Amino acid sequence: MIDNGLLVQMLLGALLGLSVYLPLAAGQLSLATPAFYAVGGTLAALLSTRWSALGATASGGFPVPSLLLELVLGGLLAGLLALLVGRLVLRLQGIYLAIATIALVEIVRVAILNLPFTGGAVGIFAIPQPFATAAGYLLPALALLALAGWLCQRLEGMPLGRAMAAIRDDELAARCMGIDTTRVKLTAFVLSAVLAGSTGALAAHFLNTWNARQGSFDASITTLAFVILGGSRTWLGPVVGGLLLTALPELLRPVGDVRLVLFGLVILLGPVLAPQGLITPGLLERLGRWGERRGGSPAEEVKP
Amino acid sequence: MQGRLRGALRLATLLAAGIGALAWLGRNTDPAAKPLPAGPLTLGAAIAFTGNANLYGQDQRMGLAVAERWAQQAEAPSRPVQLQLEDGASDEPSAIAAFNLLIRKGVIALIGPTLSQQAFAADPIAQRQGVPVVAPSNTAQGIPEIGHFISRVSAQSSVIAPLSLDEALRRDPSIKRVAVFYAQDDAYSTAEVAIFQKALAARGLTPVTVQRTQLADNDFQTPITSALPLKPQLVVLSVQAVAGGNLIRQLRELGYRGQIVVGNGLNTPNIYPICQRWCDGILIAQAYSPELNTPINRRFLQLFQQAHGDRPPPQITAQAFAAYQVLFEAIQRLERKGGLTGVTLGQARANLMTELLNGTYDTPLGPIGFSPEGEVLQDRFYVAEVRMAPGGRDGRFALVRERTLTEIQGQESKP
Repeated sequence: MIDNGLLVQMLLGALLGLSVYLPLAAGQLSLATPAFYAVGGTLAALLSTRWSALGATASGGFPVPSLLLELVLGGLLAGLLALLVGRLVLRLQGIYLAIATIALVEIVRVAILNLPFTGGAVGIFAIPQPFATAAGYLLPALALLALAGWLCQRLEGMPLGRAMAAIRDDELAARCMGIDTTRVKLTAFVLSAVLAGSTGALAAHFLNTWNARQGSFDASITTLAFVILGGSRTWLGPVVGGLLLTALPELLRPVGDVRLVLFGLVILLGPVLAPQGLITPGLLERLGRWGERRGGSPAEEVKP
Repeated sequence: MQGRLRGALRLATLLAAGIGALAWLGRNTDPAAKPLPAGPLTLGAAIAFTGNANLYGQDQRMGLAVAERWAQQAEAPSRPVQLQLEDGASDEPSAIAAFNLLIRKGVIALIGPTLSQQAFAADPIAQRQGVPVVAPSNTAQGIPEIGHFISRVSAQSSVIAPLSLDEALRRDPSIKRVAVFYAQDDAYSTAEVAIFQKALAARGLTPVTVQRTQLADNDFQTPITSALPLKPQLVVLSVQAVAGGNLIRQLRELGYRGQIVVGNGLNTPNIYPICQRWCDGILIAQAYSPELNTPINRRFLQLFQQAHGDRPPPQITAQAFAAYQVLFEAIQRLERKGGLTGVTLGQARANLMTELLNGTYDTPLGPIGFSPEGEVLQDRFYVAEVRMAPGGRDGRFALVRERTLTEIQGQESKP
């Protein structure tokens, strides 16, 4: 069974999946999501434990408005970093961009490890709690996911989203049509960073502790797997991928020691059986026309 | 396009409904308000079977299995206890998930998690829900301070680490030049090296060099070749087991002949196959010695060797045994006092925590108790020297000195 704590972890996974999806929607394979996640998380951990003006109480409580402020600040700081770094690394393409973003993840990890105020390898602990139980985190996580999902859905009809799709299909052709490809790619990169930064700020409170291990190369691969399993052509793909792949190791607990073997099998078989991912535009198309073909009422139960 | 938009909206609605349903179904996760059921009580253990801490997790699993057999063979317990093991993996989210799962299943107390960093993530959850936690291997500073319900049987490195330095200095009082190696991206190493450095300073020694390595390093040529020209007379290592084995071997191969003092990370027989005959003579301070001659340790050794052949149990196995033992004994005392009858699970957990902290326990580690905060009070520590068998394949931690805390503190306050 899925308790509220695991559900929050699933939602955080879906948010990180979306953060990898955004640059990918503009054809850019960026693995930098964990770096921005780590920046947001570290900022929230530092602010809530060191800056008493935010209102952390001695008993470990924390006001919700301060949490929201941290979400905004975490997103802003990550976005600013993305703006600076993006100008440089987005000149690269394909595998070279992927390697440059892995380097960014590593730089951020080593920086957090060695900065004098981030607690070294132990990290920052006793992060105050805005909610008494894990259920409290559901609301901000869901709200953030809904906001990000709404934005991604809107993008499909907006000039920016169309420009991103054009670059994904053919960057040279897009540039010939007069699209400022550098700016579009940079915008997608910054949006992805803002989302990852805010997610990190929320995760720092949820995890009670924050250290350099949170934003590692391993996390890059995990978040990429969310997108590959879920599908990279629609925003719902990474959401479904993030939800499923975060829940799966926990749901497999009853099988005992081989659970991670099964988990690996799922990651392996997913792309083999569904090369486009679980959620494809074609699937959404069929789902949208499902009621019409039958001529039944749209209120019927919807299942793919 | 229209169809695709409608499809996306339908799927999003479906997902939202699914998440809502899961949130509703999973809302009340703690059975603390229910009355404590009769019959055996369940202890939950969340330790690392996967991830990079699994070397320690496997040792802990052996300790818990031996403890279960010990409890079954003890004369009829007033209240039987059963153990439920879950994989806490080596990362924070998994430890949180394992703790949540066990708490939801109604365990009376928890053992774990393996790493201190995981403890900082998972222990606050147990603390908020009022579930006693006994940590078998968390040595970082600040663990019992997480709250009333958090305790540990693993002594902090600040107490243990300096003992092996004293032994090295006793053997060679002329030591002046010390080289220090540690893994700078590892929580345990950075904490322990700080203690080693403090202890060195207290003995009037300044390291001639401090070399930083990484957790995943196995090749140490560079740090060693930059340290050796400074002619160290003593090398102090604070790294994890595999890296440590390789570091020792390479130190010897590159010509270092002096004494080597190592930290708690090398406190496992798993290093023997790595550094082989080069392990010979390294000094280590321990919280457990297989050579301790008390009835409970002889019993522990006997049960361990029945299951795992003729070899001595590692410290971390003995500590996992002790974690189970203190909870088992506290439950039996509480049952006899009637503290487990007619109460809810939540009250039983609170009563157990009070009982646990008030008791003293004769464990394989020696006699231990707890401070009101939950910090272990252990008086007896050991300094061991690795002696390798002639083939260089196998060896043992030979006890060279036994120290009591009272004696150490008396000595430290002297100068």
